[in-house]
Amino acid sequence: MSLKVGLDFGTSNSGVAVYDGTRVRLLPVDPKNVLPEVIKTVLYITRDYRALIGQEAVEAYYRDHVGRRRHFVKQWAGEIDVYGADMHYVRDIFVYVDELKPGRLLQYLKTALRKESYQGTRIFERHFTPGDLAETYLALLKRRAEEVLGERIEAVTLGRPVKFSESPEQDRRAEETLLAAAHEAGFKQVDFELEPIAAALDYEQTVAAPQNVVIFDFGGGTLDIAVMRLGDPRRREVFASGGVDIAGSDFDRAIIEKRMLAHFGHGQAGQHPQVREMIHAIPDWMALPELGTPINRNALEKAIQAGVAPVRLKALESLIYNDLAFTFYNRVEAAKIALSSEGATVISLEDKDIALWELYARHQFEADIHHYLLAVEKVLLDTLTASGLDPAEIDAVVKTGGSSSIPLFTSMLARIFGAEKVKASSQFSSVAAGLAIRART
Amino acid sequence: MTFSDKIEEWIKEVEARPESALTLMRLIANRLRDLSERDEQLLAENIALQNGTRVEEYQKRIAHLEYQLDLLKRHVGAEGLTLPDLPAEAERAVSASLLVYNGQGRIFRVEAATDGAAKLGRIAGSLSTDHEPPRLLALPSNEEALLFFSSGRVGTLSVGDLPLVETGNAWEWDQAALPDEPRPGETLVCVIPFSRLPVSEYFVQVSRRGCVKKTMTSLAQSILGNRYLGKGTLGKSDQPFELALCGRGGRLAFVTCEGRLLGLDVDGLSYTAEERIRLSATDFVIAAFTPRPEDALIFITQNGKVLHREGQALEPAKSPSARGQALIPANRLEQGIRFIGAAALRDGERIAALDASGAINVYDAGAVTGSGTLGTGGLILSIGVVPSQSGTPGGA
Repeated sequence: MSLKVGLDFGTSNSGVAVYDGTRVRLLPVDPKNVLPEVIKTVLYITRDYRALIGQEAVEAYYRDHVGRRRHFVKQWAGEIDVYGADMHYVRDIFVYVDELKPGRLLQYLKTALRKESYQGTRIFERHFTPGDLAETYLALLKRRAEEVLGERIEAVTLGRPVKFSESPEQDRRAEETLLAAAHEAGFKQVDFELEPIAAALDYEQTVAAPQNVVIFDFGGGTLDIAVMRLGDPRRREVFASGGVDIAGSDFDRAIIEKRMLAHFGHGQAGQHPQVREMIHAIPDWMALPELGTPINRNALEKAIQAGVAPVRLKALESLIYNDLAFTFYNRVEAAKIALSSEGATVISLEDKDIALWELYARHQFEADIHHYLLAVEKVLLDTLTASGLDPAEIDAVVKTGGSSSIPLFTSMLARIFGAEKVKASSQFSSVAAGLAIRART
Repeated sequence: MTFSDKIEEWIKEVEARPESALTLMRLIANRLRDLSERDEQLLAENIALQNGTRVEEYQKRIAHLEYQLDLLKRHVGAEGLTLPDLPAEAERAVSASLLVYNGQGRIFRVEAATDGAAKLGRIAGSLSTDHEPPRLLALPSNEEALLFFSSGRVGTLSVGDLPLVETGNAWEWDQAALPDEPRPGETLVCVIPFSRLPVSEYFVQVSRRGCVKKTMTSLAQSILGNRYLGKGTLGKSDQPFELALCGRGGRLAFVTCEGRLLGLDVDGLSYTAEERIRLSATDFVIAAFTPRPEDALIFITQNGKVLHREGQALEPAKSPSARGQALIPANRLEQGIRFIGAAALRDGERIAALDASGAINVYDAGAVTGSGTLGTGGLILSIGVVPSQSGTPGGA
């Protein structure tokens, strides 16, 4: 019988686990990471199409990009047909390409699967669809897991959110893309399990008697909720499941929009629409790295020369042209994580021409994401209603995923169900562990 | 949001969670300390700029560098030369070594005779690995060499560290040095001298199917640190073939098996791999080098015939995908004539050739170009150029 593993392809972090019938083993697929059993869902593709994942990808990105040179060349990108009242002509379109760019770092590969508007990206000479990116990542992760286990892996149970998208059509397409990517990555047999149900299976290992449980899986890309009866493997029952695409990346975006944009000239670039557009693109992790063109630099330099917020626009220039985007997003995410345990933290970024320092308190963070709290509470209560159970009938609320440790949401769960019922599962590995259990059954 | 608003928010945090007050105070105190240190640094810098000491400091540094450059020029007897023309090291009386290496990373090092024609030795046993004959490279014994592998990996080696094999003997590959064993699925593509790295501007890579890519040598520290340069190929069926160092304004020449010669201006090359010659399905690159204008070019066929051209004959191709100049007429190709090597030659240099019997002989270049043949009678597999002293080496 071929080996089958559970693979959690998460928005921010991924993991692989195997279950031998008695014990779940989380595989140390990223030895360079602080937690080797957790691997960052980042992919770095070099100019020679060498692909790296996890901490290795992050290190390669920093090594290749710090203090690098740029050289832009005009490249033909295609042509457009222009129609007028009595004429038609074809116009060539050119783009400026940095031919010294050593590689591209890609994050949020899973989010790319569910975004209808995202058709993929061009990496040097090749176009990569979201499926190609997922396939590249999964193939490398599979290889690492095989190296750890010393044998070939041919079958996998993959986790998937309850809803990739609110649109059923897009949800189906995202699952099909992920399925095809997993097959292309070398898995001959692929099946799916909902991520909150996988987390429930992991929790069930610790349960002595049957219980009604709410699984609150709040990760980097989506919130998934399942209301289940657990404790007797023969009589498991899913009463209801629900989800919404609100999660960690949305909170990072809220922090950037509300607290960071002012450091880059937001509200001060009135007469410079091109500069304004650049500032508004900062929260978009897909758009920011693409802004580094000579035309944009020219616009920034002109505004700086004209005395429009010169220090802040210089900081924006540094953010874009010194390849600091990834560091910047990491700092924002790190601040968000710190606020789960601290009352205040600092978001700082120091580099050439940039000296960002923002003291950020938990109270501010909670105010910035308050509208998400309302949406999350609504989905939770809707799912609970659909299950036919009252909060009083719930025996335990199991929270998993990085965003589940944000105190605002823990308080909400405690308020609805009672603090004694809220239990924390392993933030990053419970889904992978549950998927491994599902793979075995 | 004004700063006062922010302070209000921090106060609200403390009202909601009094334990946060300590964290906020600590973070603000740290910031104050950093700002006061930076303020002092800026004041000191301002004073240095105002009283001119910073300017003096840079003037002194420039004067010191100019003095060092003058010393270097006098040392190598090249007062009139510009910086890129300077050799990397002062010339010393060093012997020339001939490296004979195969795709499996095995390298023989033999002392090249000082002058004239000579029989250096013979390789016993199988000559080819993966249908690739061994390659030859002559270079000074004190040279550093760069090993380039088919995966795009690079390694370095000091030529003097390779053990010498005895001249005139038969050598088995098992006895050859293996300084950097290729990894599984990888072959050693070529070895190049690289002491001129500091005065070179680009690495230039050429693939078997005529893809060319250049990389700035300013990235050398990162390339050598990561031990990775990249394959420089486009198609999966293509293979890396040659790597060369080149200065600004240099020329690249490459020659194909079916006798096509293409010249390219290095400054105009792309930093990404780009196909620069349209080859027939059966054709491939057999030599790539960076000639100087005063060099002569020689092209050698598989049966030892030698074609000689002046360096000026090499015209840089204008088209991004040229067919190259034909070295021989089509009917000679139909008769089965193919090229196995080409190189740029200077006065006093010699040609080393490996034939199908495994023998490696050195020929006087003047005699060879005069007679138009190496005169071995057998099939020639590889050639290399033996410099007159410790000049620029070459091979194909």
